[in-house]
Amino acid sequence: MDKHRRWLPSLAALGISARAGLAAMALLLASPLVGPSLGPGAWLGKALGPGGAAWAQVAAPGNRLGTAPPPARLWRDIRRGRAGAPSGTAIGTGVLVQSEGQRWRELHNRRVRPYGGWALLGSLGAVALFFALRGRVRLDGPRTGRRMARFTQAERVVHWYVAGLFVLLAVSGLTLMFGRGLLLPVMGKSAYGALASAMLQGHNLFGPLFIAGILVMAALFLKDNLPQKGDLLWIAKGGPWMRSHAPSWKYNIAEKAWYWLAVVAGLVLSASGLVMEFPWVFRDISWIQLANLSHGIAALAIMAVALGHIYLGTIGVEGALEGMTTGSVEEAWAFQHHEMWARETAAGSAGARGGTEAESEGARPGAARAGHAAAE
Amino acid sequence: METPFWLWLIEGPFWLIAATIFVLGVGWRLVSLLALGRRRDLSVPRGSAAGGALRAILLHFIPHGGFFSSTTFHVLTGYLFHLALFALLLFAAPHVTFLEKNVLGFAWPAMPRWAFIVTAELAFAGLILLWARRISDPVQRQITDGGDHAQLWLTFAVMLTGCLALEEASLALRGLHMVMVELWLIYFPFSRLMHAFTWALSRGAMGATFGRRGVMP
Ligand code: HEM
Repeated sequence: MDKHRRWLPSLAALGISARAGLAAMALLLASPLVGPSLGPGAWLGKALGPGGAAWAQVAAPGNRLGTAPPPARLWRDIRRGRAGAPSGTAIGTGVLVQSEGQRWRELHNRRVRPYGGWALLGSLGAVALFFALRGRVRLDGPRTGRRMARFTQAERVVHWYVAGLFVLLAVSGLTLMFGRGLLLPVMGKSAYGALASAMLQGHNLFGPLFIAGILVMAALFLKDNLPQKGDLLWIAKGGPWMRSHAPSWKYNIAEKAWYWLAVVAGLVLSASGLVMEFPWVFRDISWIQLANLSHGIAALAIMAVALGHIYLGTIGVEGALEGMTTGSVEEAWAFQHHEMWARETAAGSAGARGGTEAESEGARPGAARAGHAAAE
Repeated sequence: METPFWLWLIEGPFWLIAATIFVLGVGWRLVSLLALGRRRDLSVPRGSAAGGALRAILLHFIPHGGFFSSTTFHVLTGYLFHLALFALLLFAAPHVTFLEKNVLGFAWPAMPRWAFIVTAELAFAGLILLWARRISDPVQRQITDGGDHAQLWLTFAVMLTGCLALEEASLALRGLHMVMVELWLIYFPFSRLMHAFTWALSRGAMGATFGRRGVMP
């Protein structure tokens, strides 16, 4: 294949459906900028933006019983959150209007939700743009047939366990966050009610399983995601953009950043999720409000970046998925993408075996033949 | 709540059809397996075939003879999933009620709600771990075919729709779960889900051969 075609903008090389998809995505993203009443973006904008259906307006208590307005002092006490003596509540206190709740709702409905929504769409757009400009990052040369062990069975199982749960939680969580604005008007109340109940039950059930997974994953993958000398070289040499093969250790600095984001956001999600799942443990409602906001922010951040991770792990980089499915990667891939790690691994296994074979856990039959070109 | 027509269809006739296909299909497969019989063995027996069969059936619940270390993951996740699934199937309150109303006519004590939830978590953890292994072990990838994926995903769909209906507030969700159960029952006799019945036969056949030769199965 022509070298330049691969990273120069090459829309012409894309299939008609891919081009149509990109155009639709661009239109969607741009339409709210063009005109408020134009295109699907306007519909999204209406649903998500300020004043949109996505954030329900809750009126302040107005239609009280009785004819005379309550004394100003009573209102003041209520607004200041003074506790009264209600005739009976299962949980909660006698506080009638919890004024901080308005701040929470403001933040949740006007900040987290719309900005998060746009961050997700923006991430999708960025992935599409990256694909349009850079195309699939292919293997440079022919496959050597030699394999290099990259992930142990335990690492692979934990990765797919976490990834599987992540998808289930993302789908159910997104439905809960955006469903009221985007789906309810289309589906109607009773259908959306059933859907929301289903998604809430699923989300609550899968959450704890994810927590266990992210903790094990954080521990298993920690070692190779610590900063190493030479990490910055990868950026200096242009990272994924250039064709000069920026060298890196087992994970380049972008992958390391993904690890740390996944771990930190994962822990925030876990802690805040637990607070919301067991609200009676934290009697103070401000904890629950804080948990809710941080849950939303962490979830949208991890989802936005996960889109990039998933793209690079599947279509984006030829030969990357093999590592996570079989445990080993093509030797040419290892040297092309993680040169410092590949050299180290090759030297290590040559030393350990007293030979020059690239060792491999999931090698294809006859793959680990002699003649390993560790020094290229 | 009054039962709408579609739910009646799902829980009435469609349920009967699915259950019939399940019972007849499983019966047919078991009978045809047994009818295959065993080749006559003219050698002088050195031990008891029946004893060997029994021993294999019981002993092979736990891997032995040095296999445990290489199958630890499978044994643990396999038991986790299956035990939790059986506990759910038999002791979740909605299932006890359903079995009483539609199949058996009598009930037994169900587990408390919190145990129901914990058991569901364990069953999901087991199934997802088994799936993760299936797609990421080079050898298992080689021997996995479409049928394995189909039964795995179908079982997952049954469990998922069940968990989505946990609030027990929506007839549509209950109906959806029921439809998945029925599809699962219909698919059962045609798939390796049959292992729920055939495991004893295959262990027994192997154990009988060994036992007759006086070898520990
Ligand atoms: C669902 C689709 C996903 C796919 C297709 C996918 C694919 C991959 C692939 C191919 C690799 C190997 C990259 C390499 O060899 O350098 C990888 C690594 C990794 N993935 Fe995923 N992944 C997915 C989801 C996730 C999720 C949801 C998380 C975390 C929440 C995650 C966390 C990781 C981590 C931590 C690594 C190791 C790289 C590092 O530590 O920097 N993945 N993934």
